[in-house]
Amino acid sequence: MIAVEQLTVRYFGRRAPSLSGVNLRFNEGETVLLLGPSGCGKSTLALTLNGLIPHSQDVAVFDGRVLVDGQDTRQTSPAQLSQRVGIVFQDPEAQFVMLDVESEVAFGLENLCLPLDEIERRVQRALAQVNLTSLRKASVWSLSGGQKQRVALAALLAMQPRTLVFDEPTAHLDPVGVREVFEMIAALKRKGQHTLVLIEHRLDELMPLIDRVVVLDAQGAVVADGAPSAVFNDHAEMLDALGVWVPQVTRLAQRLGVHPLPITLEEAERRLRGLLRPQLPLHTQTSLNYREAASVVRIHNLSYRYGSELALDDVSLEIPAGSFTALIGANGAGKTTLLRCIAGLLTVPEGTIALFGKDASRLSPLERARWLGMVFQNPEHQFVAATVEDELALSLRQSRLPAREVKQRVEAMLARFKLTQYAKANPFTLSHGEKRRLSVATMLMMNQPILLLDEPTFGQDQQNAEAIAALLRELHAEGRTIIVVTHDMALVAECATHVAVMSHGQVRFWGSAREAFAQPDVLEQANLVLPPLARLARRLGIDALTLDELVAALRISMQDGLAVSVEPAG
Amino acid sequence: MGWLYRLNPLAKVIALAPVLAVVALTTDPFAPLAFTALALVLLASSRVPLHSALYALAPMLLVLLGFVVLYPFLIRRELVSHTPTLLQVGGVPIYEGAIMAGLRAGLRIIALVSLALLFNLTTDVSDFMRALVQQARLPYRIGYSIMVALRFAPLLRYELELIRSAHRVRGIGQPGLLGDFAQLRRAIVPLLASSIRRAERAALAMDGRAFGAFSTRTHFRRVRLTPLDGAFVLAFWALVALVMLALQALGVLGPLSFVQRV
Repeated sequence: MIAVEQLTVRYFGRRAPSLSGVNLRFNEGETVLLLGPSGCGKSTLALTLNGLIPHSQDVAVFDGRVLVDGQDTRQTSPAQLSQRVGIVFQDPEAQFVMLDVESEVAFGLENLCLPLDEIERRVQRALAQVNLTSLRKASVWSLSGGQKQRVALAALLAMQPRTLVFDEPTAHLDPVGVREVFEMIAALKRKGQHTLVLIEHRLDELMPLIDRVVVLDAQGAVVADGAPSAVFNDHAEMLDALGVWVPQVTRLAQRLGVHPLPITLEEAERRLRGLLRPQLPLHTQTSLNYREAASVVRIHNLSYRYGSELALDDVSLEIPAGSFTALIGANGAGKTTLLRCIAGLLTVPEGTIALFGKDASRLSPLERARWLGMVFQNPEHQFVAATVEDELALSLRQSRLPAREVKQRVEAMLARFKLTQYAKANPFTLSHGEKRRLSVATMLMMNQPILLLDEPTFGQDQQNAEAIAALLRELHAEGRTIIVVTHDMALVAECATHVAVMSHGQVRFWGSAREAFAQPDVLEQANLVLPPLARLARRLGIDALTLDELVAALRISMQDGLAVSVEPAG
Repeated sequence: MGWLYRLNPLAKVIALAPVLAVVALTTDPFAPLAFTALALVLLASSRVPLHSALYALAPMLLVLLGFVVLYPFLIRRELVSHTPTLLQVGGVPIYEGAIMAGLRAGLRIIALVSLALLFNLTTDVSDFMRALVQQARLPYRIGYSIMVALRFAPLLRYELELIRSAHRVRGIGQPGLLGDFAQLRRAIVPLLASSIRRAERAALAMDGRAFGAFSTRTHFRRVRLTPLDGAFVLAFWALVALVMLALQALGVLGPLSFVQRV
């Protein structure tokens, strides 16, 4: 059992505390979900649970206390704490010390000075628990993202902690890896031997496992704590205002005015099915209206190798002008390589890629920069100037526009992306969402007709992710051709007109998002899963992919169009 | 795995260090050639794929060529002016002695690299670190920290590459050395920012698993110094002495010296 009492934590160099007066109990065997807007102190709270704060990380203020099994973490040694609480972090690569799986799992046990036969026993057990016995001698670098997280978990399980904390364990993973990690968490939950604390935003898959939800606000204070359905029902507006992720099915029910709000897919299906008028044909009117125009990017028999590894295998694709194309598939499928080839970051053979009918291999960098912008996954990688203003002005100055015009365009862009107040700030000091907005803005300064994006919603909270989706839709509506590489199936469902499903360097499917999502075998082959709402729609027999479509379809087919409290809860 | 892999990494270091010093002091072209051959034979006997050795040596051949071409122009003329002139390039006489000096310098480098490959191609970094901690009494906190730092190198390179392409997309960067320098300068801030974050996370992950909790730790995988390791060191030295004696007997071994005489 862990008790957090009146805990306030403030980092050096910060004025506001990351946690303010937190009172919480994590009971034996409970599975608790921690929610809050990005940067709200969830990770800080996680670090206090096994004493890494204050033992390893110095903080300016550490008031109150954390009791693990009745012992104050400040008076307990890190060796003891590490055997009570373990944390799986989000970046699997940053948490590895050793080069092979076995040594990695043994690392913590060696630190505890355990005898060798005991280490051997525990390594065997831990690897069996995460189904990695066969990879015991493998190099950790040869593993997939999901396997890496399983190794990280095994390394903690070997230390036999009662409590396991997962801090965004799927943030860096592709859909296959996400599934692997969730299955692992579900298996732990079934065994019932651990207290689980989860920080995660893919809630629909997770909700069936959750016993309790705790919500922190931006100041790091607990604003809600209770059973999932109670928290999501009683605090719906507050959660919305905080920009906290809530299950997609819950948002849908909210929009439809269904009360009480369902939390899991199964629950939503049950509740909504009861509200549907059975005789109505369950089809929406919304149809795809993508313009079949000339292709702006034509890819013809493109293959690309990294050394001996074939990353793209004879890809041909014509991306129409004004389309919103999503390249999807598991990690290593070749999506990012394709995007980088289009962006001209990788040298491709003559005649394989044409932009606006011109051979891309003959374009000068400046010409290319005028036609396409590319937004990288990590916005920081793109920043080169000391202020937000200069960052935006850079490409304009490069093409020697008059100072007046530069100023005008920069100001307009600042206003459009709500960055005016940060004009003089250093780009690195911006928040997550602001950095992302700035990185998109810099790529639009030349009014490029093609915008490429690599995982634009990666690591964003719900509010930011939705803001990005809305922004991309807006840019698309202005006539730009947008090409994204993403694992975010909700973004694909919401925005994409065209989808290329890739696997093993080949395009396995090319068509509309609707067609792609209608073919489970195509998705399965590429190791992709439908976004939760599309899954719900399919189960209900409705032809819809997005929140808006589902709301529209359900409004039509719901009896009387009004569903408020038609059914009692449960 | 060949026999060289199974030796204690420290034994390989002990065996190689004095030999490297001797080879560095040779002044004739034959000794480096003999040691290069010796290294390659040992690598082959340990079933190290030859192409990986050649892959490492290929750039050294370029160095050799560079030395041979550049020495005649760079060497102090009075050192070689007593040797025959082979040809004139733009009024500069090319002396045989200068070419030979370049050849000797290049061959020495190839021999040194070949010998170093005996260690490099047959040793796992983590085993080397284990040997340093377990036998050479390197404090384990330092040993493992170095390991983690080494692991960051490829990640850093990958990220630098990413940053460069991110800048290239923006049409930034001019060609040439100056451009390269400016590019590196621009990459430093984002690189530092993410490295610090990564280092912090790595430290937390290690501390979270009781790293440094006690002044000592157990070693699940022991690296041992066995009599075999001792035998290897002695045998290797004997082999090297044999090669030197053979060269001497053939009368081709030059004096060992810091100064190259021509």
